[in-house]
Amino acid sequence: MSYETLSDAVVKGDINTAKEATQRAVAAGDNIQDILDQGLIAAMDVVGGQFSKGLMFVPQMLRSAKTMQECVELLKPHFKEGEVTTKGKVVLGTVKGDLHDIGKNLVRMMLEGAGFSVIDLQVDVAPEAFVAKVNEEKAEIMGMSALLSTTMPAMSQTIKALVDSGIRDRVKVMIGGAPVTANYAEEIGADAYAPDAGSAVIEAKKMLGID
Amino acid sequence: MLPLQIPTFQPRLKVVNREQALAIHTAALEILEKVGVKMEHAGALEMLAGAGGQVFDRNWIRLPANLAEEALRTAPRQIILYDHNGQEAMPLEDHNVFYGTGSDTTFTLDLETGQRRGCVLNDVGRFARLVDGLENISFAMSMGHPQDIPDVNYVYVYAFAEMVKNTNKPIVFIADRREDIGKIHDIACLVAGSEEALRKKPFLLNYSEAISPLRFPENVVDKLIFCAQKGIPICLPSGSNAGGGAPVTLAGAMAMGIAENLVGLIVHQLAAKAAPFLFGPNVSTLDMKSAVVSYGCPEWSLTQAALADMRDEIYGLPIWAFAGASDSKVVDAQAGAEAMFSIITAMLSRCNLVHDVGYLEYGSTSSLEMVTMANEMVAMARHFTAGIPVNKDSLAVEALERVKNAGPGGMFLTDDHTFDHFKEALFLPNLLDRSRYDSWEAAGSQDLYKRSNQEARRILSEHQVTPKTSDVLRDIDTLLERL
Repeated sequence: MSYETLSDAVVKGDINTAKEATQRAVAAGDNIQDILDQGLIAAMDVVGGQFSKGLMFVPQMLRSAKTMQECVELLKPHFKEGEVTTKGKVVLGTVKGDLHDIGKNLVRMMLEGAGFSVIDLQVDVAPEAFVAKVNEEKAEIMGMSALLSTTMPAMSQTIKALVDSGIRDRVKVMIGGAPVTANYAEEIGADAYAPDAGSAVIEAKKMLGID
Repeated sequence: MLPLQIPTFQPRLKVVNREQALAIHTAALEILEKVGVKMEHAGALEMLAGAGGQVFDRNWIRLPANLAEEALRTAPRQIILYDHNGQEAMPLEDHNVFYGTGSDTTFTLDLETGQRRGCVLNDVGRFARLVDGLENISFAMSMGHPQDIPDVNYVYVYAFAEMVKNTNKPIVFIADRREDIGKIHDIACLVAGSEEALRKKPFLLNYSEAISPLRFPENVVDKLIFCAQKGIPICLPSGSNAGGGAPVTLAGAMAMGIAENLVGLIVHQLAAKAAPFLFGPNVSTLDMKSAVVSYGCPEWSLTQAALADMRDEIYGLPIWAFAGASDSKVVDAQAGAEAMFSIITAMLSRCNLVHDVGYLEYGSTSSLEMVTMANEMVAMARHFTAGIPVNKDSLAVEALERVKNAGPGGMFLTDDHTFDHFKEALFLPNLLDRSRYDSWEAAGSQDLYKRSNQEARRILSEHQVTPKTSDVLRDIDTLLERL
């Protein structure tokens, strides 16, 4: 089964065509994982590649991600426990004291587009809340963002909370945000630093050893 | 016969007409009345509700237009910033334009090595000292966000103290919350002599930010009310950048940014009528490839020029603006082009307080060379904006006649008229190179970056900043020790 129509529609951000193609594939009895992998995620790989080459702009990339999500919604009723796999689970949020979330939202959309399943704790997330959710979801990655240098120390505190709860070695930590640097990530013992949403996907894949 | 005196037209850029200005203003009022804002400060929410606002959905509130109109009526149309000795330095009003640096870059270009590295407190001091020694840079901001402060909770207090020690020009400062802005106010009172003296002749202005779209966090509004009560001039833009925090179309981004500013102004004037408030949203753009907020884009210059027109048509309050910044990572042709573009248009449109001079890398890196270079660009812009004085003397028919009558050897260069007037008639560059090729080569074939580097080094080693008294310095250090 070829998913060219579906993939093209996702790349173009043509929501209607993509949904129709998804429904057709489901109706035809296609394997749900195939539709997801070969149709949707493959398309988002193309989108990611075009975006990083400067051939696509942010709103176009986000439209593609939205298109994909709407198609995933159509697939969800057909998911069976244990049958469909994602690239990994990511718990995301802005750190305690920080209310700026545009960057974090971009990261969420890009990760979802790349096939990760994202649990978004939104803004002003306390260290305990991060820890609890990582534990509960058995997340592979925890992503923190901060726009203010005054809230950056909360990143370090959150990592410490992971250590104190004894689950630091069960989760990879990725951080980002305007004042955050690779040096800072290293200093506080994070596993990765992502300067932007595109890099967040690359780093996430790298940490989990995916392609 | 010519009249005795012909007024000199000074070039003025206008980018919106009255109809456009009114339509944007009306949309801003509509946002306040229909969409409302999220006021997370309980005291301010109560104050706004008491004044006629309608609370809905917990801390969202809609505000009737008359609240904005009333606040615009009571806010002062002029804000004067003084130097640290109480001398008038920056009368912010109608057509006066003042340039200064920006705040809190993560990195700076090291003056010695040229490398991009993290900022330390000493950088804040060096930028302030450079500003003190540059003729066309009128106020200082921290430029660097120092990474060597033991307790990050007081980083802005340390930065402020460092600026106070290294310049006597007005300071535009950042704070995080009620507590640290209180400490900064204490330092300012020490410098001015007393709280009353500071209130009478403020040498500082606070820059705080709400969060676009339409969100007013508690700590930000705390600072706003504190400044209103203490008479510290304040500016409260949000991040209403087109496509990111705000609609992508500039009119919509402006309307929203202005609506947010009006909310700040309303709270401010309810807290203390006639307290000084600098108007102006920052309407830049979110770059559609990198998702950074651009500091070199033409749109920001366009929206602040439009705001200057709206000031003249509607608001009457002095405005906040940016210029002399770039998205380039190094001091190169892009940096020069973007910096000059915003500097000349900010002046031609008569923006009042123009910050961020010397930013590179969309505000993430600062450069002493860039500030030094921009100082000369401001001089160019001032020369252009002064226009062409037309009078009997400048028309110089008599000089022409003298040169003609002097015969074959006659020339303007030897005429008294030239000697008497060349300094004000012509722009005489300092860093911009017009030397002949051979002498340029003999001097080391230096480009503008290199020359600016040398000039910045020269100023930092030669310029003497009038020091604060030893009592004031001691009291500041005591305050810092007790943090």
